[in-house]
Amino acid sequence: MSTTSDDRSAGGIAAPAGDRGGILEVFKREPVALAAFTIVIFSMPLWIPVLGGYEGLATLIVIWGIFVLGFDILLGFTGYLSFGHAAFFGGAAYVTGFMYRDVSDNVIVAFVASQVGTLILAVVIGLLAMRRTGIYFSILTLAFAEMLFAAALSIFAPLTGGYDGMTRLQEPNLFGVKMDGLTIFYIAAAMLAIGYAMALRLRNSPFGVMLRAIKENPMRLEYTGINVWRYKMAAFIISAHYAGVAGFLMVTYEPYVATKFLHWSTSGEVVIMSVIGGVGTLVGPIIGAGFVLYFQNVVQAVIGEQWRLILGLVFVFVVAFLPGGFVDLARMVWKATGNRLRARRHNVPDMELTETKYGTEERLR
Amino acid sequence: MNDLFLTVLAGLQIGAIYAMLALGLTLIFGTLGVVNFAHGALYVIAIYAAVQVAINVDFTVALIVVPLFLFVVGVVFERGVIRFFYDRPHTDQILVTFGLAIVVEEVAKWLFGANNIPFPRPDWGDGVIIFYGPGAVIPPVPVFQEAPQLWLPFIDGFVTFDYWRIILIGVTIVAVSVLFYLLQFTRFGLIVRAGMRDSDMVQFLGINIARRFAMVVGLGAAIAGVAGLFGGPILGVTPDQGMKLLVPSFLVVVIGGMGSLAGAVLAAVIIGLSLAFTADNPDIQAVIIYLIAVVVLLFRPRGLLGRKGVFE
Amino acid sequence: MTMTKKGASRRSVLRGSAALAGTALVTPHFFVKNAWAQGECATVGNFPVEGPTVTFGFNVPMTGAYADEGADQLRALQLAQKHINEGGGILATLQPLALTGQGVLGKQVVHVTGDTQTNPDAARQSARRMIERDGVIMFCGGSSSATAVTRQYLAQEMGIVYMHGLTHANETTGVDRRRYGFRQFFNTHMTGLALGPILANEYGGDRAAFHLTADYNWGHSMSGSIKDATEAQGWNTVGNIATPLGATDYSQFLVSVLNSDADVLILNHYGNDMVNSVTQAVQFGMRDLQKNGRDVQIVVPLYSRLMARGAGDNVEGVFGTTNWNWTKDNPGALAFVSAFEEEYGFPPSQAAHTAYVQCILYANACEMAGTFYAPEVIRTLEGMTYSGDGYDSESLYRAEDHQSFHDILVVRGKAPSARTSEFDLLQIVDTVPRSVVEYPIDTFPGELGEYCPA
Repeated sequence: MSTTSDDRSAGGIAAPAGDRGGILEVFKREPVALAAFTIVIFSMPLWIPVLGGYEGLATLIVIWGIFVLGFDILLGFTGYLSFGHAAFFGGAAYVTGFMYRDVSDNVIVAFVASQVGTLILAVVIGLLAMRRTGIYFSILTLAFAEMLFAAALSIFAPLTGGYDGMTRLQEPNLFGVKMDGLTIFYIAAAMLAIGYAMALRLRNSPFGVMLRAIKENPMRLEYTGINVWRYKMAAFIISAHYAGVAGFLMVTYEPYVATKFLHWSTSGEVVIMSVIGGVGTLVGPIIGAGFVLYFQNVVQAVIGEQWRLILGLVFVFVVAFLPGGFVDLARMVWKATGNRLRARRHNVPDMELTETKYGTEERLR
Repeated sequence: MNDLFLTVLAGLQIGAIYAMLALGLTLIFGTLGVVNFAHGALYVIAIYAAVQVAINVDFTVALIVVPLFLFVVGVVFERGVIRFFYDRPHTDQILVTFGLAIVVEEVAKWLFGANNIPFPRPDWGDGVIIFYGPGAVIPPVPVFQEAPQLWLPFIDGFVTFDYWRIILIGVTIVAVSVLFYLLQFTRFGLIVRAGMRDSDMVQFLGINIARRFAMVVGLGAAIAGVAGLFGGPILGVTPDQGMKLLVPSFLVVVIGGMGSLAGAVLAAVIIGLSLAFTADNPDIQAVIIYLIAVVVLLFRPRGLLGRKGVFE
Repeated sequence: MTMTKKGASRRSVLRGSAALAGTALVTPHFFVKNAWAQGECATVGNFPVEGPTVTFGFNVPMTGAYADEGADQLRALQLAQKHINEGGGILATLQPLALTGQGVLGKQVVHVTGDTQTNPDAARQSARRMIERDGVIMFCGGSSSATAVTRQYLAQEMGIVYMHGLTHANETTGVDRRRYGFRQFFNTHMTGLALGPILANEYGGDRAAFHLTADYNWGHSMSGSIKDATEAQGWNTVGNIATPLGATDYSQFLVSVLNSDADVLILNHYGNDMVNSVTQAVQFGMRDLQKNGRDVQIVVPLYSRLMARGAGDNVEGVFGTTNWNWTKDNPGALAFVSAFEEEYGFPPSQAAHTAYVQCILYANACEMAGTFYAPEVIRTLEGMTYSGDGYDSESLYRAEDHQSFHDILVVRGKAPSARTSEFDLLQIVDTVPRSVVEYPIDTFPGELGEYCPA
């Protein structure tokens, strides 16, 4: 085990000494990453047509980016593979749609309502699903999501419109400002930037360190007296809310709630996007979302309906040979061209996993 | 009484396909410890192979060729893919098999189109079967006169049922019995069962467990092949059949207990019956299997007949 | 923790991002076309149309339960494009006609295609892609009322006219009617009006009916209309089970029907669903059974030749209705059928006919209005009476609900021995004139909405 900083939680990854900063700490710690991210995202309407895309695609990428980012917080930080995140995306979408159709066309009202709904759903599902781990957790989330999907189409069909999807929504607006074109794009992009900043902050905070410890060895953590359950639930609920915000944005952008939003294939899409981009890298999910959506909408025009086959092959390739996704690929290229990767902002110098005769451990580069 | 009988039959028939798929799944998981999200893809390969052979040659030929073909596919799958994932975390196994399932579905769509290929039943399996009771009078209609007829004491008058579905039930019983015999009374089965308990130990005893693993996957695939042969004419031949059947099959495995073969069969029967008995109430029918799965997963996570200590 | 040194850098980052966001917002909006569009609305869809061509979107199901209908629609739409650009087909019979057989308003028609997958989500996405990415001025086609309704709302929002394909539910021109949508195909209410009396006549006035219904808006509309129509004749409805669209196994539902005391099975199914349900009903021996001392009968209220082909001998004697049939011999029908047969080698289905007529009607309306500007084209179509589109009597596009009224047909499946060719599957029992099925406008309340996209 490493022997450097003594302010250590678990697994040899030290938390920054005396980290008491709030969310805004992230501007101090990672200004370059944040600024670069914001610039790239906000200028998307400018450069995406060059690649053959169109404005609607940019909005879709941003919305799915939020969704996948949240999913990755759960998978990348804690190691829990949820196959039921569509429940939160679709749940928030249906609540939003319900608001627009029957209650109010005000965006703020719908946002609040959808997030309240997401919270309730996340607490209920989390309380039950997080009792189990590994494959059982995955299947439990899948079962819950499928149950919600089936219920929405049968028991709640009069409310949701059943297989037809939810139509007849009023036009959403923010006190008179219509939610079309660039307006909704920038709202979504702003939320993505905030979400990214939060995720960045989380990763390098004591909370994030706890999550990584849970991923590595939850039992050991339990023995140190830490309430593992609370951290797991918190991570789950945070992750669910990203999906909920994405669901809300989706219906605000396109005033129609598709039955597909609750279907497990949507959960599957999120998994694919996350893995292709790079699990746990925060930037990876968004790259993955962009890549998949680009394939689905732009490449499809060129190679026809075979795009999904190519995407599936890429996915399998990434899982088998490139577990870190495209971000990992970029890193390898970066290193191969002779550059050093910049160190993480810890109080410890560059560390990497090396094989010793006692096993794998973190050593100085 | 007639109603009850017919509903039970419908339930058994629905459960039959799930049973065969779940058996393969639980066999692979029990021996290899691998979560095979590509099992639906094996079913897809089976139905397309079956329909092509049945239409272009003969169904009886398909009966022999398809399970053998699927066995080979299973072995290749294990040697070519699964083998490299034994030491990787479960999430990776799920991901790679999920990805392969998508690839198989898309290839099928590419080669055969996304629309249903009608899979005709063979002549000997076509038509109805008649169950009749004491004092029944069967109308002199050719369809009825030519149909197989079975006397049962509790039938009031007579009822008709699709003959092919009864055959499906029969085939499933045979397949389960053959598998049971294989595992209980042969040396191969002994090794496999030992491997399910402790595969490392078996290796220390000098037995080449790797070869047996390949055969186990082949066996699971072959059962999927049989499922495809007899389920294809009922459920249709489309590329998305695999994914549609995968989720309920997984739930059946989990309810029965991962690694328990008897559990898989029992759970399939329970699921099939609950679907049939709630057919009049589509609202409940839509959610019943997820409800059962969630309840079982929460209160008895090892499943109805599963071994304690697996993943708790 | 000291804050002084860091304060500057944080502020500068925040300032920088704000500046960037501001610049991005005032960047010229690439996506606001139509700054100088004519008249009433600020922007309307993809108007104006630049260049020598105009793009139509053909949005049909290429996969899913209704894919066969979609394939035939696509053939018909491509044929319509050919006739618009070069002349032929019903351009010889349509009245009033402004098209000259040399394109529309001097532009040649080209098209893009999209797959609705018989699924409203996919349909809406593919339609949206055709509008945003491919710049279509109009889109046409479809074979399910769920896809039709959701795309109609999209059309209204984006300012693109949508000429419906095959959609039969009342809602499409009822409660969900929209200014930018037009439907030529008939609806379930008209089917009920036409079929009810004939069924009572043929099967008696006191039957017990069990419905199996596709679980989406069309299925419910169909079962509702048939229920009303048959109960008005004295029938009883003993059951109604909703089956998932695209289901392949109907055994559990058929068992419920067998367990009841119904003696008529009404299948509110279309496309592949109907092929499977009819076939399986026969496999369960239903057509040879007797209940209540009478032969059990099957009714398929909405028929299509493609479905009859798929179900084979199982449709012999089964009643239903269709929007049109290729055996009609009025001038419009003959013109279309011969052109289609010459191009493809077999006669067109009702799905093909409605798509074809819709596309031509739209092009014709643009030519008559002298512009592609949607509000003007819409006004041209509203209230238009026309003939030579394949019906014996004149057709009307009612202004209040954008529903077209014309004759409809009650048909019956032919026995294999009575068929003159492999396409001669349906026998026309009655041609129900427009006057019988032209129901009053207040039967289905609804709002068309504005002429400007919203």
